[in-house]
Amino acid sequence: MTAFRRTTKPAHIDRGKPVTFTFDGKSLSGFSGDTLASALLANGKTLLGRSFKYHRPRGILAAGLEEPNALFTTGRGGRTEPNTIGTVTELTSGLVAKSQNAWPSLAFDIMAVNQLLSPIFSAGFYYKTFMGPLKKSWMMYEPIIRKAAGLGTAVAGVDTARYEQRFTFCDVLVIGSGPSGLAAAVIAARSGLRVIVAEQDFELGGSLLSTGNDVLKQWRQAQVAELESYKECRVLKRATAMGIYDGNLVLLNVTPQNHPAHMVTEQCRARTIIVATGAIERPLVFENNDRPGVMLASAVRTYLNRFGVAPRKRAVIVTNNDSAYQTAFELAEADIAVTVAEHRATLSGDLLARAAQLGIAIFPSSGIADVIGEKQIRGVRLAGRHAVTIDCDVLAMSGGWSPVVHLTSHGGIKPIYDATIAAFVPGGFAPTHFGCGGINGTFGVMAAIREGEVAARGALEILGFSKNLDPIDLPAMREDRTYTIQPIWHASENAPEKHAFVDFQNDVTVKDIKQAHQEGYLSVEHLKRYTTLGMGTDQGKTSNINALAMMADLRGLPMSAAGTTTFRPPYAPMTIGALAGRSIGAHFRPKRLSPLHDWHLANGATFIEAGLWLRAWYYDWAGNSPEAAYIAEMQLVRQNVGLADVSSLGKIDVQGPDAAEFLNRVYVNGFAKLPVGRARYGVMLNDDGIVLDDGTTSRISDTQFYMTTTTAQAGEVMSWLEFLLQMHWTDLDVHVTSLTDEWGGMALSGPNSRRALQLAFPDVDVTTEALPYMGVIDIQFEGITVRILRLSFSGELAYEIHCPANYTTALWEHVFKAASPLGIKPYGLEALASLRIEKGHVAGADLDHRNTLDDLGLGKMAGKEKDYVGKALRFREDCQAPERWSLVGIECMEEDKRLRGGAILFAANDEIKGHGRGYVTSVTWSTELNKFIALALYHGGLKHEGEEIICAFPLKNEQVRAKIVSPHFIDKQGERLHA
Amino acid sequence: MLKSSSALLSARSYVSAVLNISEAPDFTLTQYAGADKDLKKALGRLPTLVGVVQGGFMRVSATQIWSLNDAVAAPNCFITPLSSSRTRIEISGAPVRNVLGKCAAIDFHKSEFKPNSFAMTGMHHVPVLIHCVSADMFHIYVMRTFALSIWDHITDAALEYA
Repeated sequence: MTAFRRTTKPAHIDRGKPVTFTFDGKSLSGFSGDTLASALLANGKTLLGRSFKYHRPRGILAAGLEEPNALFTTGRGGRTEPNTIGTVTELTSGLVAKSQNAWPSLAFDIMAVNQLLSPIFSAGFYYKTFMGPLKKSWMMYEPIIRKAAGLGTAVAGVDTARYEQRFTFCDVLVIGSGPSGLAAAVIAARSGLRVIVAEQDFELGGSLLSTGNDVLKQWRQAQVAELESYKECRVLKRATAMGIYDGNLVLLNVTPQNHPAHMVTEQCRARTIIVATGAIERPLVFENNDRPGVMLASAVRTYLNRFGVAPRKRAVIVTNNDSAYQTAFELAEADIAVTVAEHRATLSGDLLARAAQLGIAIFPSSGIADVIGEKQIRGVRLAGRHAVTIDCDVLAMSGGWSPVVHLTSHGGIKPIYDATIAAFVPGGFAPTHFGCGGINGTFGVMAAIREGEVAARGALEILGFSKNLDPIDLPAMREDRTYTIQPIWHASENAPEKHAFVDFQNDVTVKDIKQAHQEGYLSVEHLKRYTTLGMGTDQGKTSNINALAMMADLRGLPMSAAGTTTFRPPYAPMTIGALAGRSIGAHFRPKRLSPLHDWHLANGATFIEAGLWLRAWYYDWAGNSPEAAYIAEMQLVRQNVGLADVSSLGKIDVQGPDAAEFLNRVYVNGFAKLPVGRARYGVMLNDDGIVLDDGTTSRISDTQFYMTTTTAQAGEVMSWLEFLLQMHWTDLDVHVTSLTDEWGGMALSGPNSRRALQLAFPDVDVTTEALPYMGVIDIQFEGITVRILRLSFSGELAYEIHCPANYTTALWEHVFKAASPLGIKPYGLEALASLRIEKGHVAGADLDHRNTLDDLGLGKMAGKEKDYVGKALRFREDCQAPERWSLVGIECMEEDKRLRGGAILFAANDEIKGHGRGYVTSVTWSTELNKFIALALYHGGLKHEGEEIICAFPLKNEQVRAKIVSPHFIDKQGERLHA
Repeated sequence: MLKSSSALLSARSYVSAVLNISEAPDFTLTQYAGADKDLKKALGRLPTLVGVVQGGFMRVSATQIWSLNDAVAAPNCFITPLSSSRTRIEISGAPVRNVLGKCAAIDFHKSEFKPNSFAMTGMHHVPVLIHCVSADMFHIYVMRTFALSIWDHITDAALEYA
């Protein structure tokens, strides 16, 4: 005989659409419109899980998002989702649900032995018990405890569901669609403005879905139909408002239907927000109040009226307020025997009369002393002077109602205690925010509907809507009864408290709270952290207020002084996938591709990520590994000619009559007198005197310059230039524009590069006389502008050829074809970066935003007479300290060993310990010197030239002897550059 | 004449009965910078506000105009050709605003984002200019080097209509 059964009375389920699902491997059926919880109840399943710590049998407590017990692991494989809340999970065909935290079975759970050990598992037990005998013993205990405790377990595999994100906007956002939310939404939608209604349930109506009142049912249907008729009203079911943030941003977590995404997270920006989130019923606290079959009274009513699931024969109701009587009356009307254990001594006459009419027995000044039954309630023993035992299938409890103040509290407005309803209500609303209905402690339907209308009209007024709108149609029923409650936070002083649960999900009892108080954890925030009360998936939705009240009692404080813990988003559990959206895998971040990317792809390049860029690392003509290939590519450049893609370099167009003066202030060296047709290497500092970036800038005309920056700093330099022009030097007439995407570039390098250039552009004079080192010319070639700059990053005779990006591939192919008789080949980023190390050119790896000009050996290039950004602070004492880490070259002294980037440097006699005297910033095999060489920052820099040092690489336990040398390893006189 | 290459050469095509997403190549984009009087003298009537497209001109800042027209001489102004710097993606069809609403944090409602207006915003961390060409057609100007990533981002967002 099961404790619950399906009724035949009308409900919000479609009995013509059966739905099959499985629970713990057993096939069961329910109906379309059921939740997983209602279908399980209808199948007589009341034992549904085991508790967090003590592995006590647990069933369903609630019918909504606040459910602490009925959590399941649903789905299979990559779609497995732990801790699914059964009371809000829509029953769908093929749903697979498993119970959690029980082994080998729900009915026989070995870890239930923890119940016997409960005396040592009290609050904070793991803080005290597992600290010894050794200092790090906790590290051993922790995994064992974690395995024994807890809820569901996430699977290790990839979540195969698709999650999307969306940005939405509206004039009025209504959160919740109970009586007040529906009324607010209808009035707002009548304006024709853009309205979004967000309802976490799969049906609109909120508490109206639980009513047995036909008038209210019809009213709900009428409002829903009207709402759905408005073109500009977007009704979102299965949409939970997770948080309200600054700027009226509301995070909505939506489970769409007939959509490729399992979930869509909407960032909704609303001009006004109406919060109609209702209220959550509180449990009462008494011995064994966690037994399966002990439920909230409102939940029993919901299962009866919405899902057509009723207790088999007999229900006991325990309450301290009037609202539970609606459940009592409707159960009795469904031919279920009802007994009420009433905490209060007296009741109003209308309730007594109706109860008598329906044959309901009421025991005043009563309560529950204990619950009988372990895996399913079998009866209750009443407290007080009526110490009788009553058999029952369900115990429906109501300790009052707690308004859902979470969302309104997210912005920092603390809730305040309202003694008349024994609950916290919002401490106010942010401008443009409104609240109506249960959240305000307005528990009557008629009053809630009126409040909804007032809230909507307030929102419309803010939006400037002034036309007359018809008032909301009120349901044809009598006015609300006055809500009365006598707060009962826990059973009497002498009542047992070992199994009197305050927080079901975290197994926190009255005893635990008293212990926390005794041990000095008095603040509600400390209480939470010490006992774990209010943590977990339900975040204490049913437990917090009872617990806070108990602590207030223990401290002798009024509730208003005890306060609440802090409400933070998200309001309900969110899967990480919903937060990540499509920013996963290849979509994790954007990739930046050179205009030559497709050519590299088709011609044997292996790519490497460099920031957001995907750059050609090396080519298969040179070898199948980077180690082999870059050496072959270096040799190509040192001995013949190679072509490299340098399109990622930052490129900035600087124009205006004051462009020369501007650059003269930005760079440490002079640019005011740079002749047209010439390029100059420049270094710029931040205003703190630290090196920001370097590069070459060419003068194209009197008023136009072409600046190049490092790849890594391109964006930062562009922002810096704009900042200087807009904030500091508004008097300068200069315009800067990024050309990084407009122009592609290639470096033609090697002793044969001039011959290659001549072959590519036979009509252009590229002799040293016409195009000297650091010379720049613009030519017209095949209908486009081509800029040829004689620059060298490699240290060889070299040119950079730039042109509009749309034509870079065609120009690259042209150069290749023309220079093919020379044996030209492409070389990649690894060789590019290695060649410059031999030459001693610093790059991103060496510029760590801590270097001064002098650290890099560039101090002499700064203008002495002129002013420039960073000049004043460049000369501060610390920047001029003689022992600063400065640029040096390093040569490996051991033939069979190698240098490594990041290696820590020590003097030969130092103990190899700590941070050393510097570190290797860049390293390469030198094809010229036949040894590993490196650039490094070293304490005192070149003052130590010629000294032997140790390069330590602890990650591989390597120590290599090396020598400090000049950072210019090749062609110190620059003969190759000027060839 | 050298052959022009698209940044979307290797992009996966998007096929839908209700939505078109394609590259709209072969456009001219030129930036004119200077004082307003010089800009007007050279280019004629110009939009006064950022966000308005007028006669092929878009004001992108107080001193900068982007032109989709053929380049012209502009005395006292500073011209920067940008035709290669941007890839233009055209997206059109009834669900276009719904799809774009997944890509950029701006309001695409017909009452807010009207034809002949544009917005400079971000899409997948990348700056873009979105031009509403007609009620159901938008042009997205994206930096060429990010074009393939943004193409993938938009076509992925449009999966529900593919």
